Amino acid sequence: MKKIVSLMLAAVLVLSIGATLAEGKTIVYWSMWESTEPQGQVIQKAVDAYAAETGNKVDVQFKGRTGIREGLQPALDAGTAIDLFDEDIDRVNRLWANYLLNLEDLAKETGYEETAIAGLMGSCREAGGGELKSIPYQPNVFNVFYNQDIFDEAGITEPPKTWDEFLDACEKIKAAGYIPLTSDDAYILCNLGYHLARYLGSEGVSKVVKEGLWAEEPAVLKTAQAFEEMATKGYFSPTIGSSVWPTNQNGEMALGLAGMYLNGSWLPNEVKAMTGPDFRWGCFAYPELEGGKDGAEASNYGAQVFGINKNSEVAKEAFDIIIKITKGEYDKMLSEESVGIPSDTTNTEWPTMLASVKPVMDGLSTRWTWAAGIEDNADMTPIIKQELQKLCAGEITAQQFVDNLEAKSASN
Amino acid sequence: MRQNKAVIAIFLMPAVLFFCLIFIYPIFRTGLMSFYEVENITSGMNEWKFSGLANYFKLADTSLFRISMWNLFRIWAVGGVAVMLIALFFAGILNSGIKAKKFFRAVIYMPNIISAVALATMWLQYVYNPRFGLFTTFFDAVGLTDFAKTQWTAPGNKFWAMLFAYCFGMVGYHMLIFSSGIEKISPEYYEAASIDGANKLAQFRQITLPLLTGVIKTNLTMWSITSVSFFTWSQLFSNVVSDVDTISPVVYLYNQVFSGGNVVTERNAGVGAAVGILMGICVVVVFLLINLLIRDDELEY
Amino acid sequence: MAKNKLHASSGVQKQTSLIPAYIPIVLWVLFTFVLIGWIVAASLSTTRDIFLGKTLEFPTGLHFENYSKAWYSQNVSVFFKNSLLYSIISVALLVLVCAPASYALSRFRFATNKLIQNGFVAAMGVPVVMIILPLFSSVSRFNILNNDTSIRALMIFLYVGINVPYTTIFLLSFFSNLSRSFEEAASIDGCGPVRTFWTIMLPLAQPGIITVSIFNFINIWNEYFMSLIFANSNATRPVAVGLYSMINSMKYTGDWAGMFSSVIIVFLPTFLLYLFLSEKIIAGVTGGGIKG
Repeated sequence: MKKIVSLMLAAVLVLSIGATLAEGKTIVYWSMWESTEPQGQVIQKAVDAYAAETGNKVDVQFKGRTGIREGLQPALDAGTAIDLFDEDIDRVNRLWANYLLNLEDLAKETGYEETAIAGLMGSCREAGGGELKSIPYQPNVFNVFYNQDIFDEAGITEPPKTWDEFLDACEKIKAAGYIPLTSDDAYILCNLGYHLARYLGSEGVSKVVKEGLWAEEPAVLKTAQAFEEMATKGYFSPTIGSSVWPTNQNGEMALGLAGMYLNGSWLPNEVKAMTGPDFRWGCFAYPELEGGKDGAEASNYGAQVFGINKNSEVAKEAFDIIIKITKGEYDKMLSEESVGIPSDTTNTEWPTMLASVKPVMDGLSTRWTWAAGIEDNADMTPIIKQELQKLCAGEITAQQFVDNLEAKSASN
Repeated sequence: MRQNKAVIAIFLMPAVLFFCLIFIYPIFRTGLMSFYEVENITSGMNEWKFSGLANYFKLADTSLFRISMWNLFRIWAVGGVAVMLIALFFAGILNSGIKAKKFFRAVIYMPNIISAVALATMWLQYVYNPRFGLFTTFFDAVGLTDFAKTQWTAPGNKFWAMLFAYCFGMVGYHMLIFSSGIEKISPEYYEAASIDGANKLAQFRQITLPLLTGVIKTNLTMWSITSVSFFTWSQLFSNVVSDVDTISPVVYLYNQVFSGGNVVTERNAGVGAAVGILMGICVVVVFLLINLLIRDDELEY
Repeated sequence: MAKNKLHASSGVQKQTSLIPAYIPIVLWVLFTFVLIGWIVAASLSTTRDIFLGKTLEFPTGLHFENYSKAWYSQNVSVFFKNSLLYSIISVALLVLVCAPASYALSRFRFATNKLIQNGFVAAMGVPVVMIILPLFSSVSRFNILNNDTSIRALMIFLYVGINVPYTTIFLLSFFSNLSRSFEEAASIDGCGPVRTFWTIMLPLAQPGIITVSIFNFINIWNEYFMSLIFANSNATRPVAVGLYSMINSMKYTGDWAGMFSSVIIVFLPTFLLYLFLSEKIIAGVTGGGIKG
């Protein structure tokens, strides 16, 4: 027995000797991408190129969005040496604000902004409370994406601009035998947030969810009624109330069974393995509503952003890596491989799949936060989601929707 | 005798040291922490702000946490009854003299050795899928087309879908425990009963069950302990933001302290500690209940 | 001959009367096979075919490349190495730590004996959430999460600590069942208690040690919650957390065939182990369950 135990211990010691001594500086980068994604692959190439040029070592940890959201905070709290990380503009600037290094000086030194998208740099400053604490890349816009072939077949010549036109488009798509609008559990709340924010602006939405003004705010009922009408007329996907992401994104949108999906401009990339390169994507701004505060110029747009840990000892090196990824050759490659928008203004060519996004993007001037603020109260988010799923599935009425939420947030 | 003491100390020291470091000290500290406002889990005690029972009141006031407790209760009670009955039923069948007993036993227990992550993925992404899932295709094939359209993962259904899948995996373990209890019952009892003309069912009720009280107690205790830590299935069955249907107290704690989800919330590790303490209290209460309700004369330890 | 026949026919009769017993259990087993069989099929299919409901038709042939893609995309070998490392060392250390303790508890009378036993039994019911927060804050204060080697050591430390009460209590009954005459004989030969334990008593308890070790091995291999929180760097992830990140990655790239092959990759090793050791494992469960 003793022999077996000692043998096992010995075997294990051999296994564990794998630590190597690094030369030069080491920069630890926690990435929001998966190593299998095109973004991850291009970033790996960029980082390899950086390492080859400088002799520094870059430890890239591909965590994915889930991994970053769940893992970064405890790791930072625990004092893990993470120099560089990235995520959505709002998440980085709000969740991890305490760990962000002010990048104004580094950006000035390197002349970063000369070829950067000014509007996005402005958004980053706004999100960072007036200071540049993050560097944007992979710009994105969150709006209605549609299947151009289905629109053509249904005889919709122009993307809808008003709610009536939108309902009309739904009717035509339905008549052509397709599902007008689909969604999954991960994005369904954006529909509610967007509709409500057209009335109230995203700050108004945030106020509703934080203070529980479901019954007090008449726009909630109006929104719920619009959704109830959609449900009754069969404009939502029949599985909208139950779909676990990415079931409908893959099974309905990518397979060409559904016409529209309120999603981010990353959608064409995520499903391109299923759609093939010839899928014709379209994009339009969420319809304007009568008497609404915000119009087509408002939406959630932004970028993924890089942040540098303020405790990092290799901040300059980390910034050089950002430059490597977001400028010139690798920015171009990133845009091409990931069907993304380039962040270097000298890379003027957009991927064809995203051609229709450009006019929408150019028309934007008011920036909403994620999901237009509807997810701002984490203790309520799952509850709102559930009620919305029921509403869209036609299980409850608009009035019940309002009443249920009012009742459930009363004790909050 | 003195040497004996030294020997005892040497033999026991490592185990007791681990016990103190991993159990005694953390439990004590969690208890303390639950009465403080602790903004950051890593902050030292000098940064804690005493807040009395405020964390517990905050939990009682949060509907999401109440929902998570309700879910946990349903998992424990409904799942518990279902799993115990099926496990006992299968254990009875296994010991009724069927062939290939070992094979059946091994297959039914198998889910327990598979990573819960893999198992949950199989259920969620395959069995319950509304397009190509096992249930949809099966019920379609047998003609129950309306039933086939059931949205297994819709709000309301999702909880039961998750519980069903979870119980499927848990049956094997409890079946084994029941089965080993039944195996220990002397066959003479059954022979005597058969001669007296008692049928299988009567034998089961009058001989097997009474002699199984100790085993039933073990099973209930184990079920309760595993239920309290319900986490993996919950996490796998929800996406990005937690779900009313699937959230459990441990998931709530995880989101509170380690900040999952999409949007920042006010973080307070003290609330997390209070969740931990509540779970501990649940175990103690259930344990006392089991011991109060089930009199067990034979010593099982 | 005739006797044999008679016996056989009565066996058949008994089995016929048992048909109602077979039905539910066969259905259950069948369901398990369909579940896993379909996943295997899907892992060799393509995402498009899966969504079109043509998983079992293989219209485009068998796609073994799903496996190589899944394997290389995420360094699956690293996950396996880590899980192997954590399980084997922890299991070995658990024997070293717990066997002497449970021997002492079963053999010697001393004031705190009952207290320690009760403490260990109670600890088996302590949910991990009750201890995880202080553990996490200690770990971060000692700056352990910065270095892969120290994370690995930490994981082993945690796995050992968490399983000490169960393992000790499990082995207790094995030691109490051993006759005291062994020790008496040894002490006549002038053998001290420490040597007696290592050379005589420990080998005698071997069946119990093997059983509890197999059980511990599988538990640690599949452990998820603690490794999710502590094994934060990619190089230290064990299989359960590794699979979770693989699944997420396959979702983002819309690669469901890849996702199912990841599931199978993680499922296979434990399954193979189970094929050979199912009787041992089952013995471990029932032994442990009754005692606990």
